[in-house]
Amino acid sequence: MRLDPNSKLAQRLNPVLFLFPALSIYIVFALYPTVSVIEYSFTDWDGISPKRNYIGLENYRKMFSDKIFWEAFRNTFVWSGVILVINVGLGLVIAAMLARVWKARLLIQTCIVLPVVISPMAVATIWRWMYQPKGVINQVLDGVGLDALTRPWLGDPSVVLYALAFAHSWSTIGLSVIIFLAGLQAVDEDLYEASKVDGATPLQQFRYVTMTALRPVTAVVFILTLTQSFKVFDIVWTTTQGGPIRFSEILSTYMYKRGALENDYGYGSAIGVALLVIVSFATIIYLQIQNRKDQ
Amino acid sequence: MARKWLLLFVLGVIAVLMAAPLVLTVFTSLKPTTELVNPAWYPPQELTFDHYVRVWTDGGFSGYFVNTLIISVVDAIVMILIASLAAYAMVFMEFRGKMLLQLLFVLGLMIPVTAVVLPLFQIVRSLGLLNSHLGVIFADLALAVSVFVFMFTSYFAGVPKALHEAARIDGATEFQIYRRVVMPIATPAVVTTALLEFLWSWNDLLLRLLLMTRDEMRTLSVGLLNFQGTMTRDVTGLSSGTAIMAIPVVLLFLVFQRSFVRGMTAGAVK
Repeated sequence: MRLDPNSKLAQRLNPVLFLFPALSIYIVFALYPTVSVIEYSFTDWDGISPKRNYIGLENYRKMFSDKIFWEAFRNTFVWSGVILVINVGLGLVIAAMLARVWKARLLIQTCIVLPVVISPMAVATIWRWMYQPKGVINQVLDGVGLDALTRPWLGDPSVVLYALAFAHSWSTIGLSVIIFLAGLQAVDEDLYEASKVDGATPLQQFRYVTMTALRPVTAVVFILTLTQSFKVFDIVWTTTQGGPIRFSEILSTYMYKRGALENDYGYGSAIGVALLVIVSFATIIYLQIQNRKDQ
Repeated sequence: MARKWLLLFVLGVIAVLMAAPLVLTVFTSLKPTTELVNPAWYPPQELTFDHYVRVWTDGGFSGYFVNTLIISVVDAIVMILIASLAAYAMVFMEFRGKMLLQLLFVLGLMIPVTAVVLPLFQIVRSLGLLNSHLGVIFADLALAVSVFVFMFTSYFAGVPKALHEAARIDGATEFQIYRRVVMPIATPAVVTTALLEFLWSWNDLLLRLLLMTRDEMRTLSVGLLNFQGTMTRDVTGLSSGTAIMAIPVVLLFLVFQRSFVRGMTAGAVK
């Protein structure tokens, strides 16, 4: 039987057929879990037993008075702050330099962007090895006479969070550089010429021409880096699992510990909801900026 | 002139530092164990592929590799299909509730995988899909489909409506128009989707850690994590395992760099 493509029935049926595969998978495996995580956060479920009781806001009350939650919260912000400084600040500087160079540009760009495709698990293995007490980092420091700085990078409570943030930045800064570069291509070349005629130094050019023109792009990279750093789990979990003690505990690792490992499912879900709220909020801002840029 | 060279020099140093961790890993993976006493930045004096062979066979990486490849390839192909079909309906068809649907997909851009893994595990388990490729594939698709629906939507929006109308008047069905007229124009979006979804799927750890508990189902990310846990001091084994995991995506990146760069910028929100 062949349906007339212009019939009323076909016009009603077609959207359903075209949308069904994507929508059904999306609803079952993305939307439903999102609703569930909110629902679980109001229960005392352990994740296994068939019985669960609704306990209202008890998990949230517990969360707000949980010292470890606030430690993880603080760590997540410090972690994101370090990554923001490197990925936005250094990313912009590298992109601005790269835009002024023609020789070997593709080679340099490839070296900077390549780590972006490496899996966080591989990144974790590489950096864990480099950060070892007798690892490459300490060998180099020793070699150049800075042996006072050598330390067990992932075992030292005062640096572990920064060391991991640095490793994460290594593997993500390429993305910022690409986005900045795309933005720089849209900057009017005449502005540079004009400022040169006015006697601006390269540093002043960077400050007044580049940074002004790139303000919207910078906002995009800022929010993007922020949301991505909040979602990180892999690199911290596979290197320190939040340790030593809790000095590199971030929200995602704490949620995984409480929810998946200690079967405190309701409570873990409440932490998940906190994460959901923060990331959604940042993403809404991101989409707003993107929209304005497109118009 | 001198300034240009200074700039190039600084960038060169940055490039070398960025590449160093990868280069050192490859060096270590190719060194005979006797050369490990040398500093890590010494290139191997004598090349050996023993560590790769050891990890591939005894380390079980061949199995992990196959599992990862199956999941990533299926993910990429199915993603192209479902995302493009949905986007086609959103752009070329009229139906009620389109705005609501759009909003629903925007929601998908905001859901961080990390936040919903706990209930996701319960759903996959209750459907009997734990320790199956299918469970992970469904989860991957669901959590990334929004990104690609919007990617295809923006491509399709650029297809002249007259082209679609003309095909309709010629009596073509919607599916024929999708397949013969619209999809051939959207090749760049197809390539980007394939590359990006393959990459995300290849690299993911969290979902696989949670949904694959049996060793024979494990992917490279979980395999490497396990190997790291049991063979902490096996530096050469760990670096060749890392290289095995990285080589396919690095090659893909080098071949399709332009598409990758375009896709990563567009899909960065994920």
